[in-house]
Order: sequence, then structure tokens, then C-alpha cells
Amino acid sequence: MKFRLFSLCLAAACAWTSAPAPAQQAAPAARPASAFSAGVANEWFSLALLLTQQTPGFSPPVASRAFAYLGLTLYESVVPGMSQHQSLAGQLNELQSLPWAQPDEVLHWPTVANASMATMTRMMFPTASAENKARIDLLERSLPLKYSQDFDPNTVTPEITNRSETFGKLMAMALMTWARTDGGHEAWGPLRRSQQNYVPPSGEGQWVATPPAFASALLPRWGEVRPFVLKTSSTCAAPLPPPYSESPSSAFYKEANEVYQVSNKATQEQRQVSLYWADDPLKTPTPAGHWVFIANDLLKLNKSTLAQAAQTYAQLNIAMADAFIAGWKTKYTVNLLRPVTYVQLVIDSNWVPTLMHTPPFPEYPSGHSVQSSAAAGVLEQVFGANKPFTDNTHNDRGWGPRTFASFKVAADEAAISRMYAGIHFRSGIEGGKVQGRCVAQQVLALKLAR
Amino acid sequence: MNFLSLRSRAHVGLLLGLYLAPLAHAAELVQAPSVPRFLEETDIAGLQSRFEGEGEYMVGGGVATFDCDADGLPEVYVTAGVNKAKFYRNRSARGGALKLQEERSGLELTNAVGAYPLDIDGDGQTDLVVLRVGEVQVFKGAGQCKFEKANDAWTIRTGNGWHTAFAATWEKGQSWPTLAIGTYTDRSKPEFPWGSCTPGLLLRPKEGGGYQPATPLAPGHCALSMLFSDWNRSGTAALRVSNDREYYKGGEEQLWQLPAGAVPALYTAAQGWKPLQIWGMGIASHDLNGDGYPEVFLTSMSDNKLQTLEAGAAQPRFTDIAFKRGVTAHRPYVGGDVHPSTAWHAQFADINNDGLADLFVVKGNVSTMPDFATLDPNNLLLQKADGNFVEAGSQAGLASFKRGRGGLVVDLNGDGLLDVLVVNRWDKAQLWRQTTAAPAGHWLQLRLQQPTGNRDAVGAWVEVKLGEGDATRVIRQELTVGGGHASGHVGWMHFGLGNAATAQLRVLWPHGDWSDWMPAKADAFYTLSPQGLVNWKAP
Repeated sequence: MKFRLFSLCLAAACAWTSAPAPAQQAAPAARPASAFSAGVANEWFSLALLLTQQTPGFSPPVASRAFAYLGLTLYESVVPGMSQHQSLAGQLNELQSLPWAQPDEVLHWPTVANASMATMTRMMFPTASAENKARIDLLERSLPLKYSQDFDPNTVTPEITNRSETFGKLMAMALMTWARTDGGHEAWGPLRRSQQNYVPPSGEGQWVATPPAFASALLPRWGEVRPFVLKTSSTCAAPLPPPYSESPSSAFYKEANEVYQVSNKATQEQRQVSLYWADDPLKTPTPAGHWVFIANDLLKLNKSTLAQAAQTYAQLNIAMADAFIAGWKTKYTVNLLRPVTYVQLVIDSNWVPTLMHTPPFPEYPSGHSVQSSAAAGVLEQVFGANKPFTDNTHNDRGWGPRTFASFKVAADEAAISRMYAGIHFRSGIEGGKVQGRCVAQQVLALKLAR
Repeated sequence: MNFLSLRSRAHVGLLLGLYLAPLAHAAELVQAPSVPRFLEETDIAGLQSRFEGEGEYMVGGGVATFDCDADGLPEVYVTAGVNKAKFYRNRSARGGALKLQEERSGLELTNAVGAYPLDIDGDGQTDLVVLRVGEVQVFKGAGQCKFEKANDAWTIRTGNGWHTAFAATWEKGQSWPTLAIGTYTDRSKPEFPWGSCTPGLLLRPKEGGGYQPATPLAPGHCALSMLFSDWNRSGTAALRVSNDREYYKGGEEQLWQLPAGAVPALYTAAQGWKPLQIWGMGIASHDLNGDGYPEVFLTSMSDNKLQTLEAGAAQPRFTDIAFKRGVTAHRPYVGGDVHPSTAWHAQFADINNDGLADLFVVKGNVSTMPDFATLDPNNLLLQKADGNFVEAGSQAGLASFKRGRGGLVVDLNGDGLLDVLVVNRWDKAQLWRQTTAAPAGHWLQLRLQQPTGNRDAVGAWVEVKLGEGDATRVIRQELTVGGGHASGHVGWMHFGLGNAATAQLRVLWPHGDWSDWMPAKADAFYTLSPQGLVNWKAP
């Protein structure tokens, strides 16, 4: 009986091997990245938000850098599957080439994205807690099950899976190796290493450490970090603030007095707004994470494709990272004192901002203003200039949801909130907007389309 | 009914799967290259060398092999950083265990980071160029494995820089070679080396022997490997330079053209050169696709590159086919370390004698870089019949986890099976004997000889034709001096022949013509001079 069964099977096997391969055995045709949902991308950025919040050291500039490399990794991983788009290699600073996916090899883009994002997330958050490192592993394993419509085993052979994982990891590692040389990398960056030795310039109107902690300057050389798109960190200049003066008739005094008055008389709504956009590290995913959260929600709401998500995350996050670099360059070049320093010196020696502490870096321009304006500039291009949206970033803190009429409205609120908080002059807010919009334009000028 | 039918189908499918699995496996085996086996014989062979040193010894760590006693077995010279470099006479029994005997040769010196053998003065004795942190030392072979410093006699002045790459070519009409020396960062700026890469040097011979003052190869971008290769088969080699972007600002990979008697000039974008920025550490070159032009493998951190001409030889325009061919080798394949790899020496060689060039890559962390693999095994990438490569380092026994740097794949005991040498930073150098059991593939080894000048015929192309009629296949090698990572070999050229018991071979002499095709039996050594092919027998 067994022999018979064996014979039968062997015969069947021979027949099978000599017959044309069944349709499902043939190599599946390559499906473009636009044929898959953005689910994998959304999940990885959701985890990145959590990791940013829970990993020490992710100050706002550092966090923006991590998001940018994650966005770029996603884009470069799947762009070979976006026939109307092209790699950013050759367009970004000092990035001449990246690994190539040959057109004749079938890759499964959700698998590529999953592998590349898992790899890059591990490398971007090497100091994550053990629990969060386990979350990375778990997410990588679970996504093919959670998004079974994108990971259909009938069309994705083990060979394609293996090749796709290899390509994803390859891309992440190639980008990480490039990322190490930007000056902002923790292990490599000479720009970080020397910050302990930083001595701020002294003189009238110059920034000094602020109460109550009088902390030393945060990342004073971040402006020297290699931008992604801007030719230099000074490419997008902010208009200069009014000249420093302690005369009550001066523009500078008036700006300082405005902060003093507005902050002291802030309405309940203004106080809430200032807290809403504070986005402090270790309590929230930082200001850049706030805008990632917004984009993540919109991509889900719009049922966006993997290709659309890749483009959005890349442009948004690169813009915010370059905004921080440009903003920091200006901050430590202008080196303007904070309102608390001026007001205590000239107007009210007992005054301190009551809503939040002044952050430990120079005032001009407002980082929130630069970065939010850059983010809004990109999102307007992606979703529309007058797109109303709901912001759910702080729902879990009981501060949302909040609805905005447009990205610009939200960005302007984020910017002015720093005056309500008593930590920025109006010129820093307005100048930051100019700088942020310039950064957005530079990023949007990248040639993503073929 | 439907339920039963489905179950039945499922059972048949399962059983079919079980019985088909071995068939599928058999089909895979047809494709799978045979895996060579290696046995580490470092200690029993007597190799005792450690490459030591801090900052200025993070790169380099080369080894050279050359036969200086005419017994057909290559001697070994191992650099050791701040330790003294050592010369080992090869006392291996043919086909037996490896045996190296340390001897005083005149080559013992500190600060050595790389070494390349070649006969510079055309006297028939192999000379040696030793790259150093400090002045490059050039040694003249005096016979019987004794060497004498020749910098003064040959007017070679390199200065006190950090010398990290070397290549040589014989320009047309010259009886002495043109030497290219690559340099790294400015040694006077150890606190901030970024952006301080120094120019390379080009030494051209002067009439009557010796060298003219060096011509700077500027800009220099921290070269860690150089190779003269005739990329477009024009008859004149160009200088490929692989540079380490860790330290340069605005640099890139380079290809210098050397018009006869004219100053060297970089190929430009207008001429088709495509900018490429990598952590270039090693160059290996071989015609993999049989079109007559060499593919170029470039080692780096993370992903490695395999370049092929994009649109013919009219322009030096290369495209990367590393992923397609399976040679990105970007992460450890065994050991569990999930970080990117760091690759150094690379060398094409037919390690399993199946007639297809394989690729050996030495790996190792620069020091303790946290973003890169600490457990970073060497790669043995075996070429399959379809031209793609498959990793076999672990099965072959070559997956060392030390901080590898330079290395060589060379037949040390004259049995036709290639052995492997690797220099490791902060650790002992390693030596593996290939012990692949019969029936291994056939092979032949060839040494080119010219009567004067370029005695070893550097720059020659050798073609070996296998099979008959429609099954004919030609494999080819260019004889070069340079490349790899700080490691060079002169001596036998090794060809794997697969199942072919006989082959035809011919040579394109440097700046000369093709010889006729000559028959050769497998598993033998030959010398080939303009007078013809001679079967070489061990003394």
C-alpha cells in the first residue's frame, strides 16, 4: 500500500515536473508600491514616536534627525517600486549613491519597508530600553500578520521575501553609514563631542543661561550638522531681529515688554495653547513628533498607499530636520538673549515665565516657529493648503482632539504659543516663520518625480 | 463532498510536497557551488604575528606573498603595525601541512602597514614596497630571500606621511614601473583629522633607472586602495583609487588616466565618470561576465559595490550590480550581530576550482565602533553557474570574528588548492590551509616571464579556454600589482578549470600582442615566456 502510494506520488511528481508550472508557481509580477497600504509605514512611525518620547537624549533637534533618516529610509527602500519617482541619491548633501534594486528582480515593497524600518529604527535608537527594543522586534514580526492583505503568501514567495528583506536591510545600513558622517551622530559626531567645552560669547544682548536651572547651552554646534537639502545651514536666512537696546522707545524694548505683558495676562486659552505646543522631550514625541503624528493620522484617514506615505514622511521629516539645523545655526550665530534675561535686567527683576521654564539655548529664532512652518509648508503641498484636520497628538493627555482650519493655522498657533509662554519675542516667531517656509520650499524643490 | 475533496487534495498536496522536496533539493544542488574546506593552521604552521597600534594603525594590516627562493612556494611577509613586520620562509611540504619559518631577511621594520612585491629594477629578483606610517620603504631583492633598502639608490622619496595604498604599472616604453602611493590623513592633525586627507604620490622612472621626484596626485581623498587596471582594454592602465569618506570633505572615488609622458588627470563627469562616495577600503577586479572588461568590487562600510560598465568601454561609466549578484555582504551572516559590516581586503579567486571566480572579503570593526558589527565574519562568496554568488564562509571554515584587515588568497603548499592568509588588528594573523577532499576541480597555475624590464609581465591579460565547440568558455585574468587592502602577491596566477582536464591558454603581453593559443594539461604549473609554454616542475 505504501509502495503504491509512493509510486502514485512519484508519478504525480514526474507529471508535475514535466508539465508547465501552474500559474501560482510562476514568479509573481512585481506590484508597485502604490498597490499596497501605508499600514507598515504608519506602524513604524507610531513606534518611532513612542521611542522618541521614552528614550533619553532625544532632544528636539536630535529627534528631528531620527525622524528624517527614518523617512528617507522608507522612501529609498520603496522608491524602486515607484515608477514615476526617483531616488534622492545625488540630490541630498554628500549622498552620491545608494544600493540599487535591479528592475528585473521582483521585490515585495511592504516586506522591504518592514525590514528597512526595523533595521533603521534599531540603529537610530540604540539606547532604547530593553522593553522598547523588544517592541521593535515584535512589530517587525507582527506586521505581516496584521496586514495580511499586503503580505499575501500566495503572491509573495519565500524567495521574494528573502530578497526583499535583504534589500530593506541593505538600504537601511547604507543610509545609516552615511548618516554617521553628518556630525549629529552620537558615536561619531565631532560636533557633539565638543559641546561640553562650549563657552557662549558674552556681551550686551548676548544669550546667557537662564533661570531656574541655568543649564548649559543645548547642542551649540547643531547648526554645523550637515543638512539634508539646504546647501549650507545658512541657506535659509531669517531676517535679523531689531537691534538690541534697553531704551524704552526702542523696538527691542517694545518686543520684550510685549512678551512680558502677554505672558502675564495670558488667557486660559492662551495658556492651554502654550502647553499644547510645548512638546517637551521625554514627556512627548517632541515638536517634530507632533507633526509626524498629524501626518500619520492623515495618511491613515486618507487610506494612503505605501508610495504616498513614503513620499510624505520623507519630505516632511527632512524639512523638519533641516529646519532645526537652520534654526540652530541662526540661534548660535545671532546668540540673542531670552526674554527672561532682558525683562529681569530692564523691566521687572522678579519676573519669570510662569507656564514653563525657558529652554537652554538662544532665543532667535523660535525653533517651534521654524520647524512648524517648514512642516506646514510640506503638508500643504501633500494634503492641500486649506485642508482642515484634527490633531489627536495629545488626546491621551486630555488635551484633544483639536481641529484646525489649515496647516498654516496650526503652525502659526504653535509659533505664537511661544510668546504666550513667555520664552520668545515676536521677531523670533515671525523670523522663524520666514526661515521655516524657506526650508519647506527647498525641500519641495527636490526632484522626487522622474 | 466538497469538504472531502478539499481534504483529499490537501493530503495529496502534502504528500507531493514531501516527495518533491528532495527533487527540489537536488535541483538546487545542481546550482550550488561546491564548498571548499579550510583548516586553520596558524599555530602549527608557525605564524606568529600581531598587528598592533592605536589611531594610526586603524587601517592597513597587509601581507605580501612572493617566491624569493625559486622553489615555487611563496614566502610570506606580514606587517604588524607598531610591532616588527616578519618575513617567513615557506617550508611547507607540497600538498601537506603549512609550515612557515621566520627568518631575518632585512625586511624587519616597525610602522609597516602594507606590502606589495614586484620586480622594480628588472633584475629577476622580487623587490618589495612596504607602506608605512612614515616613509615608504622600498627593498631590493638581493637573492636568497635577502633584501636591501633601496630608497636612496632608486631616489624614492615619499616623505613622512601616512601611506596606505599602492599600485604599479609599466607605462609604454618604460623598463621600470610607475609607482602610485596613496596616503591617508594629515598626521599633524590627529585631534581633528576630518578634511585633512593628503595627496597621493606618483613616481615615474627616470632614464637609466631610479625615479624622478614624486608628482602629487591631488586632490587626495584618503586612499585605502589603488589599482592600475586596463578598464577599457585600451592597452594603457588607468589608476583606480578607492577613498575613505570617513575623513574627506567633498571627495569621491577616483580614476586617474596616465597619458604617456603627460601629467595624470582625473576622469571627469564630462567623460562619463559617475561620482561615488564610499568608505573605500579595498579593490578587487575580475572579468565576471566574460565581456573582456573587468568588473570592480569595492569594499566599504555597510554595503559593498560591484561595478560593471554601464554602456560599453567608451566611457568610464559604471553601474552597481552588487545586490543583483548577491555580493553586497553588508551584514554578518553568522554570529548574530545585527549591525552593518566593515569590509577591507577583497580578492577574486577560483577558490573551489570550478572555473568560476569566487570572492573573498576580509571583515572587521575599525576598533570598537558601536554602530558596526563587532562579530563580523569574513566572507567567502562562491560564484554559481548563473553568475550570482552565495555565502559559504561559515561552512568553509573561514568565518573568523577577529578584526580583519589585509589578506591574501594564495596557494601556499603547491597543491592547486588556494589557501588563505588574514591579518587582524589587535590580534594574531591567521592562516588557513584548504583541505577540500578529492574530487576537487582541476586547475593550472601560470607564471609569466619576460627577459628584461617588466619581468613578471604586469599588465598582461591571460585567457584560458575551457571546453569544446558550443560549450567553449573563456576565463581571463589581468595581471596587476595593487588593490586589495594593503596586500599584494606576485607569482603564480591560479586558474580553476572545473571538470576540464585540458585547456588552451594565451596571453596578451603588456603593450604587446596576443600569443597563440597553447594547449595545457590540468593540475600542473607552467611558465610562459615569449619563447613559449613550459611545464614547471618543483625542484
